[in-house]
Amino acid sequence: MGLDIHKRETPTGGASSSPCSRVDVAAREASRVGMLMVAPAVIITAVLVIYPLIKGFRRSLESGDAAIGGQPRFVGLGNYAEVLSSATARDAIGHTLIYVALAVTLELTLGLIIAVALHRFFRGRGIVLAILILPWALPSVVSGVLWRRVFDPEGGLLNSMLAQLHVVSHPHVWMASRGWALVFITLVHVWGVVPLISLILVAGLQSLPEEVFSASAVDGATPLRQFRHITLPLLRPSIVVALSIGTVGALKIFDEIYVLNGTALNTRSILMEVYNTTFVNADFAHGTALAFLLTALTALFAAVCAVAFGRSRT
Amino acid sequence: MKRARCGVLSMVVCAAVLVIAACDGGYGEGRSGFAPRGKVLIEGQEINVLLPYKVPGRLLDEFTRETGVKVNVNVTSWDAVHSKLIVANTAKTYVADVTELDWSFTGQFAAAGWYEPLEKVLDPVLITDLSQADAALTVGGHTYGACYSNDYRLSLYNGRMFRAAGVSEFPKTFAELGPVVAKLKASGVRYPLGIPMAATEGGVTPWYLLTLAMGGELFDKDYKPLFTDPGSAGYRALQFEVDALKNGWVSPGSVTLDNGPVFDQFAAGSSAILFASSPGNLSTANDPKESSIAPEAQPALVPGVRGPGTTFGLPEGLAIPVTAKHKDAARAFIEWWMQPATLRVLYKEAGMLPCRSSVLTSMAHSGEIEGGTVVGDELAHVVPLFGQGAPKWYGQFSSTAQGLLNAAVKGDVSVGAALTQLAAKATELAGS
Repeated sequence: MGLDIHKRETPTGGASSSPCSRVDVAAREASRVGMLMVAPAVIITAVLVIYPLIKGFRRSLESGDAAIGGQPRFVGLGNYAEVLSSATARDAIGHTLIYVALAVTLELTLGLIIAVALHRFFRGRGIVLAILILPWALPSVVSGVLWRRVFDPEGGLLNSMLAQLHVVSHPHVWMASRGWALVFITLVHVWGVVPLISLILVAGLQSLPEEVFSASAVDGATPLRQFRHITLPLLRPSIVVALSIGTVGALKIFDEIYVLNGTALNTRSILMEVYNTTFVNADFAHGTALAFLLTALTALFAAVCAVAFGRSRT
Repeated sequence: MKRARCGVLSMVVCAAVLVIAACDGGYGEGRSGFAPRGKVLIEGQEINVLLPYKVPGRLLDEFTRETGVKVNVNVTSWDAVHSKLIVANTAKTYVADVTELDWSFTGQFAAAGWYEPLEKVLDPVLITDLSQADAALTVGGHTYGACYSNDYRLSLYNGRMFRAAGVSEFPKTFAELGPVVAKLKASGVRYPLGIPMAATEGGVTPWYLLTLAMGGELFDKDYKPLFTDPGSAGYRALQFEVDALKNGWVSPGSVTLDNGPVFDQFAAGSSAILFASSPGNLSTANDPKESSIAPEAQPALVPGVRGPGTTFGLPEGLAIPVTAKHKDAARAFIEWWMQPATLRVLYKEAGMLPCRSSVLTSMAHSGEIEGGTVVGDELAHVVPLFGQGAPKWYGQFSSTAQGLLNAAVKGDVSVGAALTQLAAKATELAGS
């Protein structure tokens, strides 16, 4: 390839006027224009994304003395080691993995059920779709505030209902117990994300070829077998997209936890630990190290999803 | 060729990014930008003020009329103010011309060089008048804030609830507290005490207060933690909070409540006693527009072991960041705020007890201070939480305490385990 180019660029009498050469010049011009067109986006991305990443990574390798008037020292991966040895950070990582596992399972299960229900045409389907979108359209802080009234230990809807049904004799502080708090926070998060997952899956279902289902029905396949052997395999690309969105969203969970339980240790996620370390403790060194660990975790999940997506398409 | 060009473009972009990254990031000193008095025209300037409390709008209009300087006050929660100041100052970017400077910020912010020393900037008469309250805002001989809220902890109780329960006076000791709470519960007050226990700064303040009131201290003079021994005041203070929850003295929901909602419950008549309240809350609780129990809120000396206990001051000041854009206008704003007439209005309308000794004395004599004698008597029991000044690592200590104390009251960890972990963190911070 390189030799070909060299040959073509070598001025040999009359060659410059050949059709091949004219095409080559045009291609080079097009390439130059293309690069010029792309350059602003590349430069903006470099300045707004790559530069902060490099600076952030550099900060994660330095000591945090600057926030208390000292000079930052290079500490290598020391901040990463210290963050991973901190019980609070380890708990936050554990909580985040629980959020991800619970949220993704619920989002995909509920999303699939809703999508299958909405796939069939029925009277009022448009209204149902509009209502379904509402929780997704609400900012997560707003939905957190709404749900706080449900879980409020004094006069909250949940306690009132359970008391009327004689399930509990005295108000329960739901956010005090780690198990309940993790479950309820996940539910609030899922409530906001399920509409999006459902819409992705509805779109996926609507793109499936109808003739495959007709042919299988002629062959005697029951709706359950059709769902198991046709719908699910063909829907795999949409499921992978939904899985990626659900996973990344759950990894970044913050607002719902902050509104419902503040920075309490029993529900703190990685992002919340990053916030607390960086902006409350003013410890940017360890905060940035933890943020990079979260980035690595997110990238890992994203890579797994990308591979799964690639396989699902082939 | 195409590949080669792409490679060159990528290298140029990366090199540019690396050069920017390498060149940036010095930790420069702030430069004082104050003009000599009388030689600067501030009229027409516009300043931003970042505070956790509302300031009456008509007062600000008055300042604008006097000086021609427009003021925008941005009000956000105390914890949010703290975060904003840390982020902006670390990035060495402008956040406001005047900001909150709490006693607890002072050690760290002064060490980082984020604020202008004010002792040579403000009127010397004002500096002298503020010196007592400003001690907590002073580090290494430099005063970084002008105290505007002479906040300290004192107890409040609902007089009507006490009368209904047949209790004639507020308990002076913790031993007397139990029977009083029992009587209040018997009279129908479901949860007599209001103690915030959320994982926030407001949630750890009651522990600090109880530690002092029970006759102890958090640290010795070398910042060695004094709260891990089960007989220590700090240990007993946290155990008191845990027991108060178990015994139903405090509402179970308190473990998720900050001081704001706990005060709201008191002002709504849901609880009878606020242990760790403030003089400012007293005037709000007796304001019929703000409270349904007005005028029944009464101040009381914080209980102690053998009589009224020790309490502590949490003065809050106005300060000028080194990144402020209009420092002279900021100085004029602070000096205007500190005028006796302004301070009087701020106390009446916003509950901010003045810090200027002369104004405080004059208001006490003229009976302008709500709960006058008790508020004055409590001042005699006020000590600083850190006698040697708030350490520069106070923020990290407090943040760790917020999580651990909250975990202890929720029962996730024992009192002993929480305090041992907190002591280990404090020792690590003090040694770093």
